[in-house]
Amino acid sequence: MWPCQPDDGGVDEHFAVLGYNVKSSDMAGVAQKLEQLEEAMGSFHQEGLSQLADETVHYNPSDIASWLESMISGFNPIPEFDSSSDPFLESSASVNSQMPIDLDFGSDLIAIPGKAVYPRTQPPPPEQNQPQPKKLKTSIAAVAPPPPATPLLVDSQENGIRLVHTLMACAEAVQQENFKLAEALVKNIGFLAVSQAGAMRKVATYFAEALARRIYKLYPANQQDSAFNDMLQMHFYETCPYLKFAHFTANQAILEAFAGKSRVHVIDFSMKQGMQWPALLQALALRPGGPPSFRLTGIGPPSHDETDHLQEVGWRLAQLAESINVEFEYRGFVANSLADLDAAMFEIREGETVAVNSIFELHQLLARPGAIEKVLQVVSELKPEILTVVEQEANHNGSAFLDRFTESLHYYSTLFDSLESCGGGGEEAVSVQDKVMSEVYLGRQICNVVACEGVDRVERHETLEQWKSRFGSAGFEAVHLGSNAYKQASMLLALFAGGDGYRVDENNGCLMLGWHTRPLIATSAWKLR
Amino acid sequence: MLRRPDGTFNRDLNEFLDRKVTANSVPVDGVYSFDTLDRPTGLLNRVYLPARDNEPQLGIAEVEKPLSASEVVPVILFFHGGSFVHSSANSAIYDIFCRRLVQTCKAAVVSVNYRRSPEHRYPCAYDDGWTALKWVNSRAWLRSGKENDLKVHIYLAGDSSGGNIAHHVAVRAANENVEVLGNILLHPLFGGEERTESEKRLDGKYFVRIQDRDWYWRAYLPEGEDRDHPACNVFGPRSQTLEGLKFPKSLVVVAGLDLVQDWQIGYVEGLKKYGHEVKLLYLEKATIGFYFLPNNEHFESLMDEMKSFIQS
Repeated sequence: MWPCQPDDGGVDEHFAVLGYNVKSSDMAGVAQKLEQLEEAMGSFHQEGLSQLADETVHYNPSDIASWLESMISGFNPIPEFDSSSDPFLESSASVNSQMPIDLDFGSDLIAIPGKAVYPRTQPPPPEQNQPQPKKLKTSIAAVAPPPPATPLLVDSQENGIRLVHTLMACAEAVQQENFKLAEALVKNIGFLAVSQAGAMRKVATYFAEALARRIYKLYPANQQDSAFNDMLQMHFYETCPYLKFAHFTANQAILEAFAGKSRVHVIDFSMKQGMQWPALLQALALRPGGPPSFRLTGIGPPSHDETDHLQEVGWRLAQLAESINVEFEYRGFVANSLADLDAAMFEIREGETVAVNSIFELHQLLARPGAIEKVLQVVSELKPEILTVVEQEANHNGSAFLDRFTESLHYYSTLFDSLESCGGGGEEAVSVQDKVMSEVYLGRQICNVVACEGVDRVERHETLEQWKSRFGSAGFEAVHLGSNAYKQASMLLALFAGGDGYRVDENNGCLMLGWHTRPLIATSAWKLR
Repeated sequence: MLRRPDGTFNRDLNEFLDRKVTANSVPVDGVYSFDTLDRPTGLLNRVYLPARDNEPQLGIAEVEKPLSASEVVPVILFFHGGSFVHSSANSAIYDIFCRRLVQTCKAAVVSVNYRRSPEHRYPCAYDDGWTALKWVNSRAWLRSGKENDLKVHIYLAGDSSGGNIAHHVAVRAANENVEVLGNILLHPLFGGEERTESEKRLDGKYFVRIQDRDWYWRAYLPEGEDRDHPACNVFGPRSQTLEGLKFPKSLVVVAGLDLVQDWQIGYVEGLKKYGHEVKLLYLEKATIGFYFLPNNEHFESLMDEMKSFIQS
């Protein structure tokens, strides 16, 4: 059908809708493996089964052929396997060795041996490697299906629905440049919003304000005030689990990538207050074999006041590193845009393992043509062991205003709804101030998506699927986050007060955190092919 | 592997391995879906609706107008399977199945994300089912029929544990005078202390063993209970009579290679004994879960039967 179908007959369509990638040519093999696995599980000792469940790390269950293979090889019997074995068995490369894992629940980040102690029994499944010439991609893009809209309706009360319809009608009027109608509708929204309670009221108010700004061309000033933004983000960090999850899962991937390396260098595109790094430093300090020597390069925007904020953050991290005996070096780079950086600036040293980390930064580059390509080019020149990326899981960068509006309305409604449930009980109750600041933080994003255009519109969120093709074109392939990262993330969420509605989903090797059934942020890891 | 001998369950690994899909309010093949969260009860339902021809596809769910003011559009309240433990309303296998139901039966489908065991035992699933039924019944936008006679036309459906839930919710509905037009049970999960002939004959033959079934009942039933509990053994020594109850007509589908079939056939006999209308569709060579893939004739017969059941 499509010109780019691989020659092996392609993926089985029936299985594809069920969420599994199986090549049609592999179908018989998969059926056979299922039977093999069934037999093996039937005859294997119960203890072995729990090994497979609790200690083995599983990767990308969507690639069912490889996953089955790894399960089956996990059943290869060890001669004279004794359940009361001593810890020295850990040196064996087998998945079935029984090493007690010390789970220290006190630390924020648990140093999961993962790949380091249990080498994967199967290589991570390679992505369906098709050559991706640019010409082919444009022809596919021309007939791409409409992007999915994923609403989560909470309390479908009549007034709430009318409010949403009015918002949509107003956005449509704006798109058609019928500003008289839009003006009338936006006033209506104000009244309807007041009749709502909780999340819907706040979201509607922010969207109404953003629409009004667009209609009256009163564009928001000071959107780029970084110090203010950082402060807001800190409150957001405290209020709800999204940022903590982002840091946590990225750190897990980095930790695994640094296994066995003695000199490491993290380049952080999203330095801000450096909140991600204490946990990684601690995990590295605790890892068996001792910490590596650690170098951190933090990138940040220029500050508007006199303080050298980047240096201050570096200094605090240096103090922490000293207290836990991790050899630490820091460098801060001020840059207006990531696209201003060149690979040579980082002065990568011989024998140094590099990790590049970007949390909610890359989408901003999409505001200027060529910027993302330049940055990904620079990253590939750094030859990183891993590139960790966390981005909002939504397409707020569609070419039509109405599409962006609809998508972001769904997205932020869900996000605000999750905020409503935060801040009750737990040891550290979330303060009202934290919550309000988080709302302001999100409100600024809403304003940017709806009211701004051109280079000012920096909140150009795109979905993981979209990022995948960008990373693919730049020469990167996915590193799969496994079930241990998933498990740890779930435990982290359980500790979070009000964690009831949060869900972690595994999606083709990436982890997504969402509210009930709607994924909201996606963490992924990449390496050069 | 996920079921531990001490009765606990590796929930994280289960969720990690489960393939999930988001709802999509943009119609695909004539069906669109959205999730609703009923805050007072905390119940999540995924709603699947047939796309209307002349509505603008804005990606916002249409929840102000009734389904139709000229004809009846049935609403199928669906309970996914998984032996009370596995799967969710947003599992890929059930999402695709519910979409096929919308297309085949020209119905709206509401899939309930009921609480699962072992974290939530009996009667949580039934309570959630009942809550969902009341919720569906009270949605103005699920009504259909003639302009002056709009109401929600409800059918209950479910596979495996979902079938069990559908039965119990139907009983409650009958007791409390909520009208259910029909029950569709796809190899529903019933059982009992006794070991039936089919259980002994098919134990371990088609990926399912009696000890697995036992584990799931132990995980669902209250601690210390046995399988003659009325939730499990519906026409057994401890069950409630269905005599004189305004119980809906039932379509019960039995897979000939399912080890639990004797209990399912017993269920059909039990309904008949109380004078309730029931049709048995026995698919001799079918294994459980045959309806997940549309590439076999069992799937076709099932869809045909369901369509005529709902349309009659």
